[in-house]
Amino acid sequence: MAKKLLRKSPSSSNKFNSANMTDDFQLHLDSSDDDAAPEEVTFEESKASALRSMKNALETSKREKDFLKEKRRKRQELFQEQKKRRLLPAHILEEIDTAPSKKQKLPGDQAESNNEEASCLREEGSEGSKEGYEKETKKRLKGNIRSLKGNYRVMRVVDQSSNKSQQQTAMDFIQARLYGPGSRRTTNNELLSLQNKRGPNKSAAMQFVNKKWGTEKKAKAEKLKKQWIHKQKVPSS
Amino acid sequence: MGEFKVHRVRFFDYMPAAIRAMAFNAHTERLALGRMDGSVEIFNFADHYFQEKVIPGKDSRSIEALCWVGGRLFSAGLNGEVTEYDLESLRPKYSLEAYGGPIWTITSNSQGAHLAIGCEDGTVKLFEVLEESIQFERNLDRQKGRILSISWHPSGAQIAAGMMDMIRVFDVPTGRAVQRLLVDRGFGGSKSRETVVWSVVFLSDFTIISGDSAGKVQVWDGHTGTLVKTHLVTKWDVLALSVSKDESSVVAGTSEGTVIQFQFIAPTLQQQDKEWVRTRTFKNHTHDVRALAEIETAIVSGGMDTQLVVRPLLEKFDERSHASALRKIHFPHRNLVFCAKKAGLLLFQFPGQLELWRLGESDGHGKPGDSLPLKRKPEKLLHLKRKGEDHICCSALSSCGGWLAYSTMSSVRLYRLQTDNNDISITKVPKLPKVLRSAHQLCFSSDSSKLFAASSQSSVLVIALSQSECKYVHTLKPKSGSRQPIHLMTNSVDGKWLSTANSDCEIHVYNVQKLKLHCIVPVYGSCPSAMGIHPTTNNLTMVHADQQIFEYSIVEKQYTDWSRKLQKQGLHNLWLDRDTPVTHVTFNPKNPEQILLHDMHMFCIIDQSLPLPDQKTQFYNQMTLRSLSEQGRPSHLHAFKICKTFQDLLSVSLLDDQSLVMVERPLLAITSQLPAPVRQKKFAT
Repeated sequence: MAKKLLRKSPSSSNKFNSANMTDDFQLHLDSSDDDAAPEEVTFEESKASALRSMKNALETSKREKDFLKEKRRKRQELFQEQKKRRLLPAHILEEIDTAPSKKQKLPGDQAESNNEEASCLREEGSEGSKEGYEKETKKRLKGNIRSLKGNYRVMRVVDQSSNKSQQQTAMDFIQARLYGPGSRRTTNNELLSLQNKRGPNKSAAMQFVNKKWGTEKKAKAEKLKKQWIHKQKVPSS
Repeated sequence: MGEFKVHRVRFFDYMPAAIRAMAFNAHTERLALGRMDGSVEIFNFADHYFQEKVIPGKDSRSIEALCWVGGRLFSAGLNGEVTEYDLESLRPKYSLEAYGGPIWTITSNSQGAHLAIGCEDGTVKLFEVLEESIQFERNLDRQKGRILSISWHPSGAQIAAGMMDMIRVFDVPTGRAVQRLLVDRGFGGSKSRETVVWSVVFLSDFTIISGDSAGKVQVWDGHTGTLVKTHLVTKWDVLALSVSKDESSVVAGTSEGTVIQFQFIAPTLQQQDKEWVRTRTFKNHTHDVRALAEIETAIVSGGMDTQLVVRPLLEKFDERSHASALRKIHFPHRNLVFCAKKAGLLLFQFPGQLELWRLGESDGHGKPGDSLPLKRKPEKLLHLKRKGEDHICCSALSSCGGWLAYSTMSSVRLYRLQTDNNDISITKVPKLPKVLRSAHQLCFSSDSSKLFAASSQSSVLVIALSQSECKYVHTLKPKSGSRQPIHLMTNSVDGKWLSTANSDCEIHVYNVQKLKLHCIVPVYGSCPSAMGIHPTTNNLTMVHADQQIFEYSIVEKQYTDWSRKLQKQGLHNLWLDRDTPVTHVTFNPKNPEQILLHDMHMFCIIDQSLPLPDQKTQFYNQMTLRSLSEQGRPSHLHAFKICKTFQDLLSVSLLDDQSLVMVERPLLAITSQLPAPVRQKKFAT
């Protein structure tokens, strides 16, 4: 059985004897030396603290679970609401269900435009894909719908053919290899200017000789020249 | 002789398209040239490199490679289709979708029974060549990269395919890939980029020669798959390779514009072992060389600078002659500029549009050689865009300026023009006769009452024009039943005669009023490059691709005396040595003895009243004549008066008010609009 060793708290001895207090302080200080005995913590205290920490942990985990559950519930509700919003009102659905034989023979271009709508709906990659298809079939059954609500684009099938994109990538490949980065190319101006410089009759670079080139640079130079002349005139006048 | 006021026109922004592919047919001696805008041109190498046929391009068509099988021409492009061309009606016969993605190359085996194409998706597809079409046979083993170049072994049993970073050798009967030859990447910074093997050549001793984007030409042993020799030829890409028929010489074209020749010879005299040695370098281009062909006596190259260069190999010629000189073909051998002589209007034909300009006016007078001040500047009256995808094939403007017509491969359009003082209005003639589907050449009669359209099999459709509508009258058919297309058509000023010339070198003259064939000019071996009918004497003047000049009297149905005299004396050597053909013949109404001709580098007036020059006289004698006194001149005069002041001529015409119109297109202006060349560091710059 462990001896109950009470530590003399300095405050209790303070009341009675101030002189003693200093001694006690000294004692206290001395007791914190290395060769003093370690402090003892009671078994009950440690048991209590352990239990407390376990309880805390359990509580926090429970709280987290609850929180997540709440979040999930809210999201689910949100989705439900969105789904409700996207579907047509209930009475129209009923009408359509009761009259399936109303499938009209769509004219050629109408079918085409519906196909286009279908293709672009698929392209848009709507998140509720099921809803997208449902909507599309409903549109077909409904017939003459020209206007598209929402974020849909209409494109011609001709423009979207895979051939063209492949051809474009091939052309980009060749363009990048021959003229892209790392191809160390220069301008025709340089080429012709070098020919002028190294030819039998040395003459100026092409940009000066050919009046049509470098028109922006020349215009800018003219403007700056006029401004400079104007500046020179103003202080003198 | 008289002085002419000259309208010097430089506002025709003609831009030729870059050359992308070429193929030479040794049997027929024709070179097929594919350009970047999808057009195909056929040059007759036996007839002074004359541009016989032009198949106009199309927006959706792209040409990456051309290939002859017998007399048939096939092309393949990035749109994924293999197209066969009908060279008699100048249009594609059919297009076959290959379903492999963009096609990079097409080649036939030496037996001419199969075609192999290299596709973007990594397959080599084999097609069987049938009588009237081609049929897909099978795919060889599919590879992971794109197939950029293909070469058949002469036996037809193996195919070498150049891809990214490697060359694969396929065994054709089984379709399996037998060898893999790994190509090194370039040095320094280009180590991170894959090396593209732009072209391969498979020789009969199983040697493979490849050119790649790191600038190397490598010689490989096809049996063992090992590298024999590497030649680092350039810092940029080696874009094209071509092997000669006897496999003793290979030429490589680079991005720098150089063409390098390798020959299979023994490096030193004593040794018996032959190897591929780099011999010659030709620098005839300023931009990338993308198409190359080595024919028997010459190397033909073409690339982004749009010129076709024929460099004859001097060791194949015994003496230096005209045939061994370097030839550059810049401009097409047909008219792109049409002039309305009475109205002073010019029509420019582009592949995508037509432009109608009114010439400027000047009042001044001056000495010969002066520039006169302009009272009114030339202005563009009309910019007519074509409808549809097909490029414009031919066009015509009537001499009064009231009618305009153009034709593509699929349709012909006719327009009525009305010019009030400064306004111009254009109305399309709506219902054209159904027979007028497309025309190879169009021509209006001089009184604008008829339109002549050259259609298939050398026949001519005659359409009568009235106020604002047209009616089909008759089809004029040649007796010979030739199937070749007409490339030249001209009619007389009095409206009686029409003359046509086709690619078989046949010239027919029709009587327009009676609507029947009048006579056939005796066939001369060379194709006519320009024709004109004299306004008063109705003599047909023909200039051929070999620079011979003939004059034929239509009324009498025989050659004229002047023509016989010229043939007897022979033309001067300097005239015959010119390397560009005459493209336009016109006459001076005020002086019936003059014939005006031009080619790309000179403008000539032939005066039939003056004596003909013999071989010893000074041919270009205009400067000497100017320095002589009045008395001294007559002894030195001769019939050919040549002026070289105007260069890079596209067209010369004479207006009714005695002023000349010279349409020039300076080559420098074309060069300045080409794509970027490579940056070369030259010493002292």
